Amino acid sequence: MAELNFGYLPGDSFFHRLDARVKLIGLILISIATLHARMAPLLLLQGTALLPLFRIGLSPVKILRELRYFFVLLFFVFAARSLSTPGEALFSFMGISPTLEGTLMGLLVSCRLLLIALAGMLLMATTRTWEIKAAVSRLLAPVPFIPHARIGVMIGLTLRFIPIILHQVRQTQDAQRARGIETRGFFYRLTRLMIPLMRRTLKDADSMAIAMEARCYAEERTDPQLNAEKRDWAALAGAISICGFVILL
Amino acid sequence: MKILEIENLSHRFGDGTFGNQEIDLSVRREEFVVIAGPNGSGKTTLLRHLNGLLMPHVGTVRIAGIPVADDLRRARQMVGMVFQDPDTQIIGETVYDDVAFGPENLKLNRKEIERRVEDALSETGLSAFAARRPHLLSGGEKRRLAIAGMLAMKAEIAVFDEPFSNLDYPGVRQVLSAILALHRAGKTILLTTHDLEKVIAHADRLVLMAEGRIVSDGPPETVMAETERFGVRQPCTFRNGGRIESWLS
Repeated sequence: MAELNFGYLPGDSFFHRLDARVKLIGLILISIATLHARMAPLLLLQGTALLPLFRIGLSPVKILRELRYFFVLLFFVFAARSLSTPGEALFSFMGISPTLEGTLMGLLVSCRLLLIALAGMLLMATTRTWEIKAAVSRLLAPVPFIPHARIGVMIGLTLRFIPIILHQVRQTQDAQRARGIETRGFFYRLTRLMIPLMRRTLKDADSMAIAMEARCYAEERTDPQLNAEKRDWAALAGAISICGFVILL
Repeated sequence: MKILEIENLSHRFGDGTFGNQEIDLSVRREEFVVIAGPNGSGKTTLLRHLNGLLMPHVGTVRIAGIPVADDLRRARQMVGMVFQDPDTQIIGETVYDDVAFGPENLKLNRKEIERRVEDALSETGLSAFAARRPHLLSGGEKRRLAIAGMLAMKAEIAVFDEPFSNLDYPGVRQVLSAILALHRAGKTILLTTHDLEKVIAHADRLVLMAEGRIVSDGPPETVMAETERFGVRQPCTFRNGGRIESWLS
């Protein structure tokens, strides 16, 4: 498992040192703010999210590679918007007529989703899974009738398994490429990937669950220390201000 | 004094086949026991009963006098386990976090966790790797990491399932040194292998398994005479009538 790109990158940057709760709240605020944001502030925020990603060692190529499947989704979102929104047709080709209004709206929605993805990537790269688990658990603790510890565990485990699934995707794809699958169509490759991928992922998940059990894993455990300091409050205030600014603009 | 007592243990899988049958085995404190047998002889199944990852259909396993089923948490703390595939055993996102995983599950306070992790990393020579991503370690280092996790739990019985598989010569020497250091520190060692050559020079006792049963048990020099009958290759030097040498000499 030598090449794991998605997930935590050890480091000591400003974002690494921030309290996980502040980062989580920041992500939620940004996600809400983007719903009302226009193009200019969105691009500004994307640039702001990219800088710390570069700072922690993720190159533009790596970021693009990480998000390559997400870009496919964005393309579909963009295409659906540009084709389904009524307005002035840009051109017409074989019955396909994207509109100017739809294209602009598609670009805006894609930029909004991209910003959320970049912010999520920053959170994942600078926060340990167990810190996220502890943050979710602590933030939900005051809410009555919610099993906050269990929800924290579920989120923590889900996040922990994502790199394992991605690793399995790469391994299975390599094994299939070695036997010349690239000459076959997209849907054939997809079906041939999914079945072994699911089998191997479940097997690995089972092995990891056994290893965790062997080390006394339980819902109630000593969570990482989460201490909100001046720096964290300042960052939270900064996130609120930026989001307010984005919405007002 | 007996630290491990297995009485009349039988385990049957869901499809009706027996993984283990009528196993009786007692291990003294600080003993070094090698369990050998071909693939499918029931070695791993037996090991998984020692900390309650599997429960016997018939029979009892006692750790320091107390049945495993009566106190699973105690059994899992006392019996540290290094699995065959080190990748599926890695839970933490850094080397430090991975070693801390066990003590955190024991709900120790943060200061004690830090002390244990630092001691375990120092004893296994991994202090310099504390901030590294565990998946990027070499095979030998990954197994040393698993040993560090076991040390941090203060396990008294160290169980190794095929610890030398997929390791190069320096990797085997690294892992063997770590195992011997554990033994010198007073831990009881149980180790499964089908490759006696690498470890038998250090063992007090050799247990031979075939088809889920113990077929021979005694001092290595006595039991080794019959290993080939049960599908386990004798070490070369033993075949040639010479003295078995350590891989560390």
